[in-house]
Amino acid sequence: MAVIEIKLCLLGDSGVGKSSIVHRFVYDSFRPYMENTIGAAFLTKTMIVEGRTYKFQIWDTAGQEKYRALAPMYYRGAAAAIIVYDITRESSFHAVKLWLAELKRHASPNIVLAIAGNKNDLEDLREVSYQEAQDCAKSHGAIMIETSAKSAINVASLFVEIGRRLSNLDMTMSLPSSNSNALNVNQRTGQDVKGRRKCCGF
Amino acid sequence: MEVVYPGHVKLTDKEKTNICYLSFPDSNSGCMGDTQFHFRIRRCPGRRSVVQAHTDYNKDCPAALQSVVLLSKLPFVTLYNYIVSVIAPEYFDNGEPCLEAACHDIDQWPDPCPGETLNLPIMGTVVQVRLPSRSDKVLTSPQIKNPSVPTMPANNILPSVSEVDVYSAFLPVLPHIQMLWELVLIGEPLVVMANSPTICSGTVQALVSTIWPFKYCMDFRPYFTIHDSEFREYTTKTQAPPAVILGVTNPFFAKTLQHWPHVLRIGELAVSSPKTINKLKKVGTIKTLDSKPGYPDKEASGGSECNALKRYLLELTQSFMIPLERYVASLMPLQRNISPHKGPPRLKSFDTEAFLKTIEHSGPQLTSGLKGDWIALYRRFFRSGNFEGWLRFRQEEVNQKLQALHLEVLCQADLLTWIQDKQEVEIVDLILRLREKLAKINENQLPVSNDMLSRLQHHHDMIVCSLPEDLQSVLKSNHGN
Repeated sequence: MAVIEIKLCLLGDSGVGKSSIVHRFVYDSFRPYMENTIGAAFLTKTMIVEGRTYKFQIWDTAGQEKYRALAPMYYRGAAAAIIVYDITRESSFHAVKLWLAELKRHASPNIVLAIAGNKNDLEDLREVSYQEAQDCAKSHGAIMIETSAKSAINVASLFVEIGRRLSNLDMTMSLPSSNSNALNVNQRTGQDVKGRRKCCGF
Repeated sequence: MEVVYPGHVKLTDKEKTNICYLSFPDSNSGCMGDTQFHFRIRRCPGRRSVVQAHTDYNKDCPAALQSVVLLSKLPFVTLYNYIVSVIAPEYFDNGEPCLEAACHDIDQWPDPCPGETLNLPIMGTVVQVRLPSRSDKVLTSPQIKNPSVPTMPANNILPSVSEVDVYSAFLPVLPHIQMLWELVLIGEPLVVMANSPTICSGTVQALVSTIWPFKYCMDFRPYFTIHDSEFREYTTKTQAPPAVILGVTNPFFAKTLQHWPHVLRIGELAVSSPKTINKLKKVGTIKTLDSKPGYPDKEASGGSECNALKRYLLELTQSFMIPLERYVASLMPLQRNISPHKGPPRLKSFDTEAFLKTIEHSGPQLTSGLKGDWIALYRRFFRSGNFEGWLRFRQEEVNQKLQALHLEVLCQADLLTWIQDKQEVEIVDLILRLREKLAKINENQLPVSNDMLSRLQHHHDMIVCSLPEDLQSVLKSNHGN
């Protein structure tokens, strides 16, 4: 089975838990005190989604402002991007919208976008409602999922969902008449979002 | 020097000065825009080995001339040139955080291991490159297997870490290629004068690669300036020119190195230049072989021009090398002379006169079809550092192989039967020899399987047990130390 290499980057404010999500996904572990990322960390993980083997080349970017200008290096040529915010910090969700706008302008048009509302184990401190994030994602055709790197909630599903979208995209791109199929992809995604919401118990 | 990454790296003042001068143009000769090249510097005493640096400088704004320099001990010219071409533009745009990010990526790179394909993350891309190995088949550089085409290409595949494009480098001097090969082989002083550091460094790198699989064992400086700390040493007129290859751009060198026997001038390759001057100046008669007309024959090799040139050079080098290898093989001791009761045999010494006698009937004139004074070429080669380096390497390699063979014989021998009728002195001698072997294995000096190791240890222990107890305890207490 051929391995499909996928460049994926994580974007988002400092401290929202980008590295923690990656650590949970790659090593299935959690460190309560992560040091700040320098530039970007690079990790890989191979995963089989719908019979396809994906090797994710994960660029976990630094959230600190001084590295802001380097972001294009990481989303340039990326097949997927995860924009992470912290559900207990409204300002980090605001940053998501800015990232979405930037990616729309400069990233590849086929990029698979995912929005991850991290730290959903801290329900008491919630500042961003699920619905608000959901609406935002829908308007950008992005995957939306709430995660907790700490409690290992939805982290794997996040990547599985990205893999699914990629394989849909793969199929569309290998077919000659892509117009009708592009529609199919959108429809299917809509269903997926609903389905997942149920299974995650919101 | 504005910043150095990673921060713990210490450079001596002399090294810093050299790097600074080498990172910028050495003259006002007009090269415009970004320039990329590489150079080598000598590390200060106590810090052995030479460092390769790869530079990209931005000349768009001369008032703010900036350079990004990557230093490494490893000769991966192609790889580092690529890496610098990734880092430098980002640095010129975004400044220091960029270097920080790049260093962080490089920090994660795996250790280089011959024959392995490495995935090297660097600033948002992954460079895939295979490190060469000695067992590689000549010329057919193994392809990196490319997984099915991804939706978006995630990797940049570099065909080689260190191979330079010899054809482009030698295009202006192609008619002289055979003579250049001879000069490099016998380690003659040679200076390459060009208009830009890119051209001179590329040409010098190509020159040292012409004699592959021989290793060029003398110093070479792909880019050398009048400010270099070895400037005096290398340009002195009171001694014969040193056996080095220099790449220079400053016209001043034309005067300083007037007394050098070989000067290679490479003219501007750009279309803008109306006149192209490419010539090889030589003093005296150095050329020993007649050149073959009509080189290189592109049709015959049926490949690209670059491959045709590589093949031509390789065949030339192999014609020269095969008789040497054949002679070294004749110096090997016979397998049956390897005895478990004696020390390991060693390679007999290389007798140049005896070697030259073998040339008369089976020399390179037979394989290469080139007429000329091959003997004279060998004699010059024997005086060069290239011969010394090659011979030392072969000797080490053969002696290590002999050690391994000896070890195998030792493991298979029935030592317990052998010692039955031996004097204690002889047995103790054997034990000491076994211990020496075991120590070498433990220091990783001998390649050996675990099975062999345990057998050897077993032999040793059994023989010690066969001795009288008082001697055993002496040997044991000795062993502890």
